[in-house]
Parts: sequence; C-alpha cells; structure tokens
Amino acid sequence: MTDDGGWQRLHPLSPLLRGGVVLLAVGGYVVSQLFDRVMSVFDTGVYVPGGPGQRGDGEMLVAHPFLALAAVVVLVLAVAAGAWVSWRFTRFRVADGQVELRQGVVFRQHRQVRLERVQAVETTRPLLARLVGLSQVVVQSAGGSDSHLTLAFLGADRAEEVRVHLLELAGRVDDAAVAPDAEDDAPGASRGADAGVPLVVVPNGRLFVATILHGSTIVLGIVVLGVATAVGVSRVGLQVLAGAPALVPVVLGLAVGRVKELLVHGNFSVARTATALRVRHGLTDLRVSSVPVHRVQALEAVQPLWWRPWGWWRVRVNVAGVHGEDDGDTTTLLPVGTREEALRVLGALGVPAQDPLVVATLDGSGPDGGWVGPPRVVRWLDPWAWRRIGYALAASAVHVRSGRLTRRAVFVPYARVQSLGLEQGPLQARLGVASARVVSTPGPVSPLVPHLATAEAERLLGLLAERSRVARRVRAKAPGTVAPDAPTLVD
Amino acid sequence: MTLRGEGPGWRPVSPALATARTVVVLGLLLPALLATVGVALLVTPWAWAGTAGVLLLAAWGVWLVRRQVSAISWAELDEEIVIRKGRVLRTLVSVPYGRLQYVDIQSGPLSRALGIASCEIHTASPASGGSLPGLPTAEAEALRTRLAARGESQRAGL
Repeated sequence: MTDDGGWQRLHPLSPLLRGGVVLLAVGGYVVSQLFDRVMSVFDTGVYVPGGPGQRGDGEMLVAHPFLALAAVVVLVLAVAAGAWVSWRFTRFRVADGQVELRQGVVFRQHRQVRLERVQAVETTRPLLARLVGLSQVVVQSAGGSDSHLTLAFLGADRAEEVRVHLLELAGRVDDAAVAPDAEDDAPGASRGADAGVPLVVVPNGRLFVATILHGSTIVLGIVVLGVATAVGVSRVGLQVLAGAPALVPVVLGLAVGRVKELLVHGNFSVARTATALRVRHGLTDLRVSSVPVHRVQALEAVQPLWWRPWGWWRVRVNVAGVHGEDDGDTTTLLPVGTREEALRVLGALGVPAQDPLVVATLDGSGPDGGWVGPPRVVRWLDPWAWRRIGYALAASAVHVRSGRLTRRAVFVPYARVQSLGLEQGPLQARLGVASARVVSTPGPVSPLVPHLATAEAERLLGLLAERSRVARRVRAKAPGTVAPDAPTLVD
Repeated sequence: MTLRGEGPGWRPVSPALATARTVVVLGLLLPALLATVGVALLVTPWAWAGTAGVLLLAAWGVWLVRRQVSAISWAELDEEIVIRKGRVLRTLVSVPYGRLQYVDIQSGPLSRALGIASCEIHTASPASGGSLPGLPTAEAEALRTRLAARGESQRAGL
C-alpha cells in the first residue's frame, strides 16, 4: 500500500466504518422494509393496500420486486463508490519528523503533527471496528482533542505497528530532550520501546465492587432503605412512594455514570515500557494508550472512605495537553488497585514506593518525619482533617496529603511546577492561615495545601520556587538537549 | 513573597484603574437613578427612598472600587513575577519567567482614553496565569517586552 513519498492508505473498509452506525441503521431499515414488502407480494399474490388506482412509490416497488432490487443495488454501488473515492483520497505518512494526514475530495484537509509535539499515541477499537478486526490510531498533540490526528482505520496489527513506530520515533526525540529524567531503573528500561513489563491487571470483579461503592450509590441506597422502611411502617409512606417516579431520572443518570465507568475501565491493565506507561482498557471499546512518563505533570492517589476496608486506591495523573477522560484521553492509570499496586504504579512514575515519606503521604498524619501541617487553631475550620493536612519536601517532588475520610495524596515533581499561589479567605485571615496552591497543567489533579499558618505558607512558596527553579535548570542544561523549547506546550 | 505588607519591590497599579472602574459602576447605576427620580417626580414622592438607596449603592460601589484597586500590587523578582489581589479574598500568584507561554496586552476604549492597559500572563495551565490590570500603556508594553526577553532566556520544557 506504499505510494510515492512514503504515503500510505488506510484500510479500505474505513469510510464505511466511519459512516458506521448511521449507515448500518439506515441500511438495515431500508432492507427490512423492502424485504417485508417483497415477501408480502409472494405471500398473498396481490398486495394493494391503498385500493386500486392509487398506486404510490411504495406500491410501485411492491408491484415490481426487481425494480426494488435494482434500487438497492444502485444504492449499494453509490455508497461503495463514495467510500472508494474517500478511501483513495485519504493518505498518511510518517516522514521528516512529522506525521501527516491528507483527506477530503472537495474540501481538502492536510494535517500534520511534529513528532516532538506528540503527547501520546493510542489505538482504540470501537465496537464496529472490533467486529471486523480494525483499529484506529489517535495521535495526541498538545492543543487538546481538536488537534488530534486520527488514523481511522487500520488493520489491528498494522495499527499496533504504526503506534509502536510513532512512539519509538517520538520517544527517541523525547529521550534526547529529557535524558536526566530517564534514570529510572524500571525493569523494562533496557528493552525495546514496546516490550512492556506488566505492572498491574485489575480484575473486573474488583472493579465492579469498587464502582458500586461510590458516594452516589451509597446515598441512593440509604434513601431507598429509608423509603422502604417508611412504606413498611406507616401509611404516609405510601404517599412518599407516589413520589418515586420523580427519582427515576436521578437513578438513571447515576446508573449511566456507573455503567460508563465500568465500560471504560473494564479489562484494565497497565504495563511499563521504556519511556511510557501503556494502558489497555475498555469492556466494549478496547483502548490502548501510552502515557509518556516524562509528560506526567502531577500524580494523585485517592482512597474514598468506602474503599478503606478493602485498602483500595485510585491513581490519576495530569498529562500535558490531555484535558480529561471525556475526549478519549487517559488520565486514570489505576481505576482501583490495592495499596501495593498503587505504589507500584506510582513507582513506575518516579515516586519511590519504599520511601517512608511516600507511605506517610498515603495514610499518615501528624508532624513526624518532615511533615509540615496547619497550626492547631485550624481545628475550628477543619476539625476532621486538620491533623492529616500537610506537605513534605522530598528529593525531587513535593508531597501533599489531605482528607481524613477520603484520603488524598498528591505528588508534584519540582521540575513540573507551573506557578505558585496563595489564597486567604476572611475566616482564614482571622485565624492567620492561608492555603498554598501548586499549579499544575489542567487535569484531575489540583494540588492544594490548605490552612497553613500564613508565614509558613509564604515560606513554602519561597522553598518551592527555589527548588523548582533549580530543577528546571538541571533539566535545561542536561547534555543531549535538542533545543531548550522542544517539549513546551505552546510556541 | 508575602501575602500582605509593603516591601520595597511591591508596586501599585495606576489610580486611573480606579477611575475606569468607578465610571463603569456609575454608568451601570445611572439608569436606576433616573428611573427612581422619574417615578418620584411623576408618580409618588415615596420613590425618593429608592433614589437614596441607589445613591447609597453608588457610594458603596465607589468605596469598594477604591479599596479593590488599592489592594492590587505586583513585583518583578529575579526569577518570577508576583501579583497580589483582594482584601477579603486575598490571592497571590507567582509565575516563574521560565513558565511563560505568552503575554497579552488588552485595553478597551475606556482604558485607552485613560491611558491604561491590562497585562495577561499565560502559562501552560489556564489556572495559573495572572492578570495585571491597570498598568500605564507604556509600562505595560515595556513589561511585556521584559517578560518576553526573560521568558526566552529562562525558558524550560514542560
């Protein structure tokens, strides 16, 4: 399928699949309608629904089954021809340090993404494509989902090849740019770019339980129990029950959210490759995405109260250029895992699991071991969590912990700190405390150290500014740097 | 970098910003004032109470604007620019020059007439940028040039 200049074509079925569900639905409808009518002709011999002398288009088709057949054939041919033209005019290539995609017959489009701007490459398999064994390759660049380049569709093996190839090329560029960060001696580091070492596989049973154990479902369960008791105990309860239909949209919305979570995070597994974490997930739409380790801006491990009996944690990250789960990008690196698994994932991202400081970030509290927390007076503001709130400055990252019921542990490498901020509301001002914010790129993690004594918060800002300054310098001056601005987000 | 206090490095913004914001506040309240006066003259003298209310509101607005504007201060340090705002809700933003992506200078017709502009500082995170309103136009331009130069020399990858 190679053309001149390295241009390649997508899989011939692509236009049909991209038309996808709509085409299938319309086609199915038309065929079933015609089929019914044609069959009915053969059944009764004569089929004249409108009475004699009132023949419309439909009856013409009925009267002439071969005309109907011809119409179907013409339709199929037209669609096929359109698809063929679209396929002929869609080409892509990887050359001169960039990926290019050309498409369109009337409105031509030529999109290119430079390899060093590639944030992540993932292959996804929507349900229809999966049925015929095709995948699409999504090349994510920094400008958000609009700037993604989608190669839809390629044969599954070919897609995997392209993904690995792109990642290797992009990874090579990246490795040169951020050599000092690659000192991580993970077991997979010496292998090829895609010989991933499995880190964690999440059993679907555990995911199911964890998905059900969610704040919204628990509140709903309590409400339902309350209503049920009310109905059982008194006749007033029956009137309450009459209001139950009002709950239907709420329950539906909740169920949709939970089911979506299951669908997206089903069959979840993470593997460590030389330069990236490779995530495979999806019950219906199988996705494989790679999160380059050096693009991770901030990490977070969260344990909701109802997960504590099982000791489960969720790990999410901010990735430069990736704004959220909804546009198909990956920010969840572990939907639910044991503490040991969470530490393993964090470890693969440069947060050392053996470090007592890391352990203390997950579930410690109190000032021992280098932790700085709020003054005692904060118990008026936050009686539950004030002992747990705090920060610690580790060798390469600031650790922030908060939340007593829902435990939250955040790690931001000094080199990734975007900017710093202080915030102080009127109550805080009265108590002489302020919150310190470590600003990261957009994503699920937003690091905040609440309620430090004002002087302490100011001191933290100074310390962080100094440390991130040094960290940035080290990165910038590292040997093998391609260009100081190579991996920046916006030019 | 302190949340309050007057160090040598802290600079206020132009008092013209207070003028601009006062004009906006009064402009918004003017229709209400005219309406209450009209009703008072034509329908019932009780509407003078409304007029008094609007005047009080205007006075409070003017006082608030003065306090807000006087609470804005900024400092250019060796490695970062720091902007402080607010009295009731105090915030401080510190943006390292190396993290600057681009800088916008904006000024509407009113600001232009008063000779001020606002300087928006953008980083890779929309949450972290600072905006610095009410700089004299020439100073805003100079600041942008300085920031661009420093951003270039201290630029860091993500």
